[in-house]
Amino acid sequence: MRTRLALAIPLVLAACAKGPAGDAARAPGGTMIIATTGDADVLFPPVTSVTNGINVSDLLFCRLAELKLALNTVDDAGFRPVLARSWEHPDSLTIVFHLDRRAHWQDGAPVTAADVAFTFGVYRDPAVNSPLAPFLAAIDSVTARDSFTVAFRFRRWYPEQLYDATYHMRVLPRHLLDTIPAARLATAPFARAPVGDGPYRFVSWAAGSEIALAADPAWFLGRPGLDRLIWRVTPELATAVSGLLAGEADAMEVIPARGQLERVQQATDVRLVPYPSPFYAAIVFNLRRPPFADRDVRRALAMAVDRETVVRSVFGPFAEVAVGATSPMQWIWSDSISQLPFDTAAAARLLDQRGWRRGGAGGLRSSHGAPLRFTLLVPTSSQVRQQAAVIVQDELRRLGVDMRIQPLEFTVMERRTQTGDFDAALISRTIDPSPASLLQWWSPGAGGNIGRYADTAFGSLAAAAMRARTRAEAAPLWRSALGRLNDEAPAVFLFSPRNNAAISTRFRNVTIRPDSWLATVTEWRVIEARHIARDRGAPRP
Amino acid sequence: MLRFAARRLAFAVVSVAAVVFITFLLVHAAPGEPMLGTPERALASPETMARQRTLFGLDRPLPEQFLRYARNLARGELGESFVLHRPVAAVLAEAVPNTLLLGGTALVASLLLGLAIGVVQAARHHSRTDTLLSAATLVLYSVPVFWLGLVLLLVFGERLHWLPVSGMTSAGLEDRLSSLGRAVDVARHLVLPAASLALVQAAAFARFQRSALVESLDAEYIRAARAKGLTERAVLLKHALRGALAPTLTLAGLSVPYFLAGSVLVESIFGWPGLGRVAYDAIFARDYNVITATALVSGVLVAAGNLLADVAVAIADPRVRLDQ
Repeated sequence: MRTRLALAIPLVLAACAKGPAGDAARAPGGTMIIATTGDADVLFPPVTSVTNGINVSDLLFCRLAELKLALNTVDDAGFRPVLARSWEHPDSLTIVFHLDRRAHWQDGAPVTAADVAFTFGVYRDPAVNSPLAPFLAAIDSVTARDSFTVAFRFRRWYPEQLYDATYHMRVLPRHLLDTIPAARLATAPFARAPVGDGPYRFVSWAAGSEIALAADPAWFLGRPGLDRLIWRVTPELATAVSGLLAGEADAMEVIPARGQLERVQQATDVRLVPYPSPFYAAIVFNLRRPPFADRDVRRALAMAVDRETVVRSVFGPFAEVAVGATSPMQWIWSDSISQLPFDTAAAARLLDQRGWRRGGAGGLRSSHGAPLRFTLLVPTSSQVRQQAAVIVQDELRRLGVDMRIQPLEFTVMERRTQTGDFDAALISRTIDPSPASLLQWWSPGAGGNIGRYADTAFGSLAAAAMRARTRAEAAPLWRSALGRLNDEAPAVFLFSPRNNAAISTRFRNVTIRPDSWLATVTEWRVIEARHIARDRGAPRP
Repeated sequence: MLRFAARRLAFAVVSVAAVVFITFLLVHAAPGEPMLGTPERALASPETMARQRTLFGLDRPLPEQFLRYARNLARGELGESFVLHRPVAAVLAEAVPNTLLLGGTALVASLLLGLAIGVVQAARHHSRTDTLLSAATLVLYSVPVFWLGLVLLLVFGERLHWLPVSGMTSAGLEDRLSSLGRAVDVARHLVLPAASLALVQAAAFARFQRSALVESLDAEYIRAARAKGLTERAVLLKHALRGALAPTLTLAGLSVPYFLAGSVLVESIFGWPGLGRVAYDAIFARDYNVITATALVSGVLVAAGNLLADVAVAIADPRVRLDQ
């Protein structure tokens, strides 16, 4: 008896000692207030197009599978199961998904194959007018084989089939939506108070002010670590940062201005979490207009821009010099990509050879009496692009090129570039994790190809890269395509900003997936010793 | 009095109709369009954008679009927001009360503060106090509202932590507060944005009130009041102030556009979810229906402000009513 007691006491003591500490490590709880400069538009994934709307609806609705942090879009190993517990490729044109039977809608109904097939129909329906529909063009059909098995049939084979089947669509509840006419789905009450299948439930939305979500304790992949997520809309960036520094907010997705970043750097309770951005900025030339139809002139202009100086002057350490039409978020980014050097002497020689010689007023170059002059459109909404334009203007003036800057409101600039009414434009592009997004901007006939660049060599390299079976095979081909683009210089690729999330030091386990900064938020935790009033006030789901 | 109010009301209706017509024409004539309103939307394919234009009738000739808008407006329909995918009336119904709370508080606060300063200055005109207050009100009157807002935010919000810096309520704490607690919470959030708007306008009211009071203190009826043996305080507050209120009340009515325009900046700085923010976002997104509706509501508020000021002046000073 005594022996048993002697054995039991240390076990009980060990269990007691381990209890609170062990629970603290896993204990859910806490509230995260996210300061954001913009409200959501609508919480209906097929038509949600504003960043904050996407961030919120991403936590309400699940995908079949999610990309892992490495954003490998080619290999199956790059994905982790979510609604689909597994998938298989019975032939080169089919992927069959087996749904996780534990998955359910927040009204209790199970997530079924019929929901997935219905979702595909909604995204592709012209009446819904989803901007994501073009990304699903390679999928021929989606059919439910039984309640929990759904087959995607493709029109052709390509390595990113799984990516296209899972990334662009978030599964919708058929039983709540199939009676609503497709054209009214975006304006239906559901789109402002949705019922999802994700880790968080919709709680409230005060337009222009606040959106609140609460953790779904019964989420089939495990209860999220934070009880509540609240987005607080603060349009003025400086005020949003003040709120963060004053402790009214806990996090911001990105702080885009250098001055504000430096304020956060000096704070002790907030830290910056850097991650690659999905953006790059470039000066795009309109190849329909002289002198940009001449490849050598474009190359000379590209070589005359000291991009390192531009980037450090505008961003300090908070951006990368772009290696091409990509960002560090994509797995094809590499310093080994061939780029034109910064070489003003070579640039001057090229222009001389093409007949653009100095001699005009103010040392300007001219050819047959016409000065080498063009206008660069810059959006007034982007302070950093306006600053970069001024530096580039100075560098080109030294080469004898007169670049005039025309700041325009964003919508006006977009209209001008889309209709071809411009010489050059300093644009910013948001790209997907998939390198195939390169073709949206640089292939002939693509809507985003505003400069009307067309090159068969680039097209061939990109086509070969898209056919490659593995990432190891595809990467060198994509990099060659980017190198070819740099060599042809339809644009001067200037910079890719380095995103910096600002997050209170109360939070731990913080990781960020660059294309979707809250993709791993279910793993985030508040350090229990640093709970504050709003954490204690959180209603336990 | 009734005829006077009816005449003013008819004039207000015509003015608001003109505001709506001009706004509709201007926003449609401005370069850009709703389908390109945000960088995210610009990623949509040309086909998608073309379908959107057709859906919202933006591919129709402008006169046809206006006639349709006017017909809907006559039925009380303000249309749908292109960006928010919801009725404009619902968008405004959420925002207008918040702006009325902010603007109304700022107007009352600025009027009371301006009157108080003006009375003190008039009572001690040409004294050192008067000179100091004149200088102070001149400085305040010269300060841009957004700058004052940012300074107040930095000092009282971020540095001293006395007041919240943004929003209308404390995020994450609403469910722990009683009704009274919520009211106090909203009041605390109201202080900085209302002060930003009120301080500048209070300076204007003070300068007007001082001038009017100083002038009226020399009037014969004031000399008569003093001759009756009334105290200087009673002379100033009961007799001189009532006669000198008219210019300040008129200015208060005319200041409604100031508070509406100021709310665009102040609501953005302090994250106050009101009409100014709605208008600001809609302008950049070229959300035509929302822009035109905010102009309509602003026009109604300005007309109402002027009407109320006219009526208040007529009540305060019967000579105005007789003159009309």
